[in-house]
Amino acid sequence: MRFVLPKGRLLTGSVEILQKAGIEVRPPQGRELITKNGEYSFLLAKSFDVPVYVEHGIDIGIAGNDIVEERESDVFVPLELPFGKCRLSLAIPKEKSVKVEEMDGFRIATKYTNLTRKFFDKRGIEVEIIKLHGSIELAPKIGIADAIVDIVETGNTLLANDLIELEKIMDISAVLIVNRISQKTRFEEINDLILKLKGVVEDGF
Amino acid sequence: MKKDLFSESVRLAYIVKDLRRTFELWGYKEIFLPSVEEYSPNLRKGTKFAYNNKFYMFKPDPTSQILANLKERRELKIYYILEVLNGATKGEWQAGIEFIGGNDLMVQVEGILVAITALESLGINEFYIDVGSLEVWKRALKEIEEYKPQIITALSRRNFEEIESLPISSAKKEELWKLFNFRGKKCEYQKLNKIIEAINDKRVFVDFGTMRILPYYSDIIFEVYSPKFGKPIGGGGEYEIKGMKAFGFAFNLKAILKLYEGDLEKTRKIISGDLKEAYNKAKQFVSLGIPVKVRK
Repeated sequence: MRFVLPKGRLLTGSVEILQKAGIEVRPPQGRELITKNGEYSFLLAKSFDVPVYVEHGIDIGIAGNDIVEERESDVFVPLELPFGKCRLSLAIPKEKSVKVEEMDGFRIATKYTNLTRKFFDKRGIEVEIIKLHGSIELAPKIGIADAIVDIVETGNTLLANDLIELEKIMDISAVLIVNRISQKTRFEEINDLILKLKGVVEDGF
Repeated sequence: MKKDLFSESVRLAYIVKDLRRTFELWGYKEIFLPSVEEYSPNLRKGTKFAYNNKFYMFKPDPTSQILANLKERRELKIYYILEVLNGATKGEWQAGIEFIGGNDLMVQVEGILVAITALESLGINEFYIDVGSLEVWKRALKEIEEYKPQIITALSRRNFEEIESLPISSAKKEELWKLFNFRGKKCEYQKLNKIIEAINDKRVFVDFGTMRILPYYSDIIFEVYSPKFGKPIGGGGEYEIKGMKAFGFAFNLKAILKLYEGDLEKTRKIISGDLKEAYNKAKQFVSLGIPVKVRK
């Protein structure tokens, strides 16, 4: 069975929960991209790419549900995992705060262009979306955007950059994702793993 | 822009030629659908645009387009090869059939057999077909109609946790869990058993976890997949139109292309020499159905 694990903040939780479910994970070290441990192989990928790997043939992955939604990945999401909890929010400089309904024509900087577009489309508000890959909170400061859509964990980064959270767009959590075809071809094996992981979660992971 | 439009086109042409032949052997006729259709909320996929104060759809989903154009009862056995747009500029090449106006059981059995023989004609034998039923779910959700949308969404993502969090009895949850994970050759739904028996192929299974949420599907749905490819190769289902039973499916041609291992170029009769003589010979071979290649 092939797993893809996310680099970054979800890696530790992912390795721990799989190990508790009896999967001996050997995450790739240094420049290694893939490692093997018996019948399991593990691929380490950028968190934004995990759902893409799973959609295209890797059996199982762990990713944030924000990324699964953003990439509109056609994968099964059988289980929510108890880590990586945060939220995707719309934030704006404190001194320029307006209601969401008054944001027509605003420029929004984000890594999540799809989710941002859907959020504003649902309310019939037309905004210009600027895609950035990091340090999103700096965009209003240097004047290239009026507001941002980004992940909020504690709210400290927003505070440090004089931004206030205008509205929560979605709750975020790590989720287990499964390739649609693997779910059929490895039916027993994958169902067994899901049940084991479910047990680990219920035991208060 | 495509990476290599011309090479891909050559490969697609070989596959499509064999698919067309199989569809025609089963008695289906090719339909040439217009690229642009006047907007209707019943049209799926495609890309919406406005022209002269009117809305249109560019390259919509062919089944919805055929249904929108069928104004009166009419039995049809048709097939199509075309590109469907995804709401923006990205397209997917599809090959599919629609069997409209046959008897119940007949349309489903024939539809799935056309899919099987079409893949076999391309030398693709390592595939599975999972057949599910919307009717079985409809019956199971009868007393809990108010949770139907959440349950259907949960099913399409295979997330039983979402179902478990609903305020329904544990007996009901147990029943749904069993259905959710049912996969086999025989089930309690006789209509499905008859279809599986008539198809009589070891690669075809009943799988109630198979879910295709399209507004027009009424009961039997199916999905084709191969362990060699990470995404479904195609799928389809049963629907009703103007009081007639109908069944259709579509293959994703890119997926088929990935699975196709046959030779793309067939043996040809090489002809060379004087221009007039060579082409005269070539003409005679072609009229006998022999492939040729004229060389300088």
